[in-house]
Amino acid sequence: MRMKSVNRKFIFPLLLLALSVISGYGQQVEFKATARDEVAVGEQFRLIYTVNAQANGFKAPSIRDFSIIVGPNQSTSSSMQIINNQVTRSIEYSYTFVLQANKEGTFTINPASVNVDGKSRQSNPVTIKVVKGSPQQGNDNQGTAQSAPDISSKNLFVKASVNKNSPYQGEQVIVTYKIYTRIPVSEYSVTKIPALTGFWTENLMKDNTPLKQYRETINGAEYVVAEFKKDALFAQKSGKLKIAPLELDVIAQVERKTKRARTNDPFFDNFFNDSFFGSAYQNVRKTLYSNSIILNVKPLPVAGKSNDFSGAVGDFKITSSIDKKTVKANDALTLRFTVSGRGNLKFIDKPNIIFPTDFDVYDPRIVDNINTTASGMSGKRTFEFLIVPRNHGSYTIKPASFVYFDLDNGKYKTLRSAEFKITVEKGVGGGSYVGAGNDKEDFKYIGTDIRYINTDILNLRPVNMFLFGSIKFWILFMLPFVLFIIFLVTWQKELKKRGNIALMRNKKATGVARKRLKAAEQYLKQGNQQSFCTEISNALWGYISDKFNISRSALSIDSVSEALQKQNVKADLISKFVSTLNNCEFARFAPGDKSQVMDNLYTEALQVITQTEQELK
Amino acid sequence: MKKIALLFIFTFLAVGLLMAEPQADINKANKAYQEGFYENAISLYEKVIHEGYTSSELYYNLGNAYFKTDQIPSAILYYERAKKLDPNNEDILYNLRVANNKIIDKIDQLPQLFYQQWWSNVKQLFSPDGWAVNTIVLLFLFFAIVVAFLLSGSVKVRKILLTSGLLIVLVTVLVFIISIQTYDDANNKREAIVYTASLPVKSSPEESGIDLFVIHEGLKVQIIDELSGWKEIRIDNGSKGWVKTEALKAI
Repeated sequence: MRMKSVNRKFIFPLLLLALSVISGYGQQVEFKATARDEVAVGEQFRLIYTVNAQANGFKAPSIRDFSIIVGPNQSTSSSMQIINNQVTRSIEYSYTFVLQANKEGTFTINPASVNVDGKSRQSNPVTIKVVKGSPQQGNDNQGTAQSAPDISSKNLFVKASVNKNSPYQGEQVIVTYKIYTRIPVSEYSVTKIPALTGFWTENLMKDNTPLKQYRETINGAEYVVAEFKKDALFAQKSGKLKIAPLELDVIAQVERKTKRARTNDPFFDNFFNDSFFGSAYQNVRKTLYSNSIILNVKPLPVAGKSNDFSGAVGDFKITSSIDKKTVKANDALTLRFTVSGRGNLKFIDKPNIIFPTDFDVYDPRIVDNINTTASGMSGKRTFEFLIVPRNHGSYTIKPASFVYFDLDNGKYKTLRSAEFKITVEKGVGGGSYVGAGNDKEDFKYIGTDIRYINTDILNLRPVNMFLFGSIKFWILFMLPFVLFIIFLVTWQKELKKRGNIALMRNKKATGVARKRLKAAEQYLKQGNQQSFCTEISNALWGYISDKFNISRSALSIDSVSEALQKQNVKADLISKFVSTLNNCEFARFAPGDKSQVMDNLYTEALQVITQTEQELK
Repeated sequence: MKKIALLFIFTFLAVGLLMAEPQADINKANKAYQEGFYENAISLYEKVIHEGYTSSELYYNLGNAYFKTDQIPSAILYYERAKKLDPNNEDILYNLRVANNKIIDKIDQLPQLFYQQWWSNVKQLFSPDGWAVNTIVLLFLFFAIVVAFLLSGSVKVRKILLTSGLLIVLVTVLVFIISIQTYDDANNKREAIVYTASLPVKSSPEESGIDLFVIHEGLKVQIIDELSGWKEIRIDNGSKGWVKTEALKAI
């Protein structure tokens, strides 16, 4: 049995189909792992698992010590041999990994497993020694000779160039990387793109764009130039910013310096040096570095910078439009705000449009139509605001301003969008709000601020002057006392002046009556009947006279009862008063011992006066 | 009597004359405020205060200008000063609340006993001057009742006058006491606003004192004691401590 590493090219599907019936699985099943014994750090190599039978369920071992570049790729091949009329068919499944060695050392890759006829089979483990540097060249680079001739940097180099050395912050700078070569280049790959700190980068060359090639003469030597990478850079800060070198791996074809001792046979030499023979050129790998570039980024001027400036640098125009001017409440309308032009369009922030407060405004949808061509970034960015008016009425959307830094004249420019007047009609429901609970809005605060200043004429006064404790206060405080004393004095004077004795008598009536009764009591004790009767009589008559301001001469029993009746004194008290008066008069002129009568009279008089006093109150 | 009346008239006239010029400054300041030149407004209002004038509205406007320029401690100071002169002004109370929302410290008020609460609420009913006027008005009323009592002939009317007179004597005495207290509160500055961004409150009036807690600018504190460049303060939750005098501005 011959194991053969074969490619798909060698598959003969038709034959296989025709002969598959004949073939058998007589041979022994083998599952093998193959790889090179020794590889260099960084080198890529193949690890192939092959099985010479129909297999499925391939399980790869875990490969930790190498990085997997590709794999596993499955391929099938079959071959057929006819020897002495005996047909032998062989089938082969292979699983291929492309691995890269990362570090030095000896590593073992564990066996893989596969199912053949329902049985699991294990491959052999593979041990690979990884050495430093570039040891023997493997199968991968068959054409590259070990003793590669050096390629002069005169013949092959990479150059980075910028279209502007001192841009403004945010201004677009185009970096172009070019290969200059005088020898044929078969392959190149960018291995390291510099990390551009301080820049925002936009790739201007799509992967499928064909390389732009042209010829250029430098110092008398003609080069083929290919632009292989182009970036638009936007500096995010000012100052000196460095574009670090780019790293490029190139495989160039160099004429082989033949080591073969020349024979003198010109035909022979020519034959072997002939390019057709394939030995005249060899592939040489070389790593190239571009030059680094330092940009002197100018800051944007502070003068004239407005608050609305959000970092747009370039040359722009704005347009704004609204899809309808008349709308029903709760129906949506769209406002489009478009910035078009050339510059850092992707940095443009949404415009600060002030909508009427009871419009619902949603975050704008951003539609970009930005071309990143070799000449830089241009196009337009559109902000679509979806707005829903909630109440009917006429509203105005005020113009929004867009500020950008104009590179042509180095100044800030402000553009204003159009002003829109919108008429909102009443929404569904025929304009009637009756019963439409949803149309009512909860009262809400839309902002917090302090209340406004007081603009009236202020009631100013000297600082730290309080009414309390001031002279004014004490004067005002004493004033009522003073006024009261003045009142009392004048009042007393007035009373005397008017001779209003009646009032005095009225006030003193009870006192006088009591005094007389006291005197009468004295006489009673002394037994002075005459004086006693006079005093009692005087007390009673005098009380009435003083109280009701009736002169003594006008007093009579009738006038007394009349006066008492006027004061609403009770009838029985009046009759008692009158009878006491009568008794008094009677006792005065009655003969004999009247001590008993006098006692009664005194008690009666006292009672009558006290009761009348109470009644009159 | 006539002399006193004349004296009053002259005092009012003099005050009126003095008032004319600062009012012009205030109008200018109000205009500056309306146009958004808050710094100008502040310097004009401050000028009027510096000339020795005061009014709750003036303090209120100045507080607003400070608020607009984001000088919250000053805004609170002037709102508090305005509140002292006009304790029930709704606008002053509202703006003071808004300004207090902007300061860092949110301190829970220690609950007062009900009668303390009641007493301070009663005191807030009028400004110190209002209470002084009330005292005088009540005094006049009392004597008017006494006179009416003396002149009245009717016993019923006299009875009513006697009870109301006694009641008014009580009220007058109470109002007079409140007048004294509010005057004292207003005159002796027992409250202050913190003017230092972050102020450690110490356990003793010396630099080496232990830091008890930290308060921040704009907070109102009570001053309870004073000692050579240091002030003992109490905050609303009842905590006490010592701070440097220059960290505070008295209301």
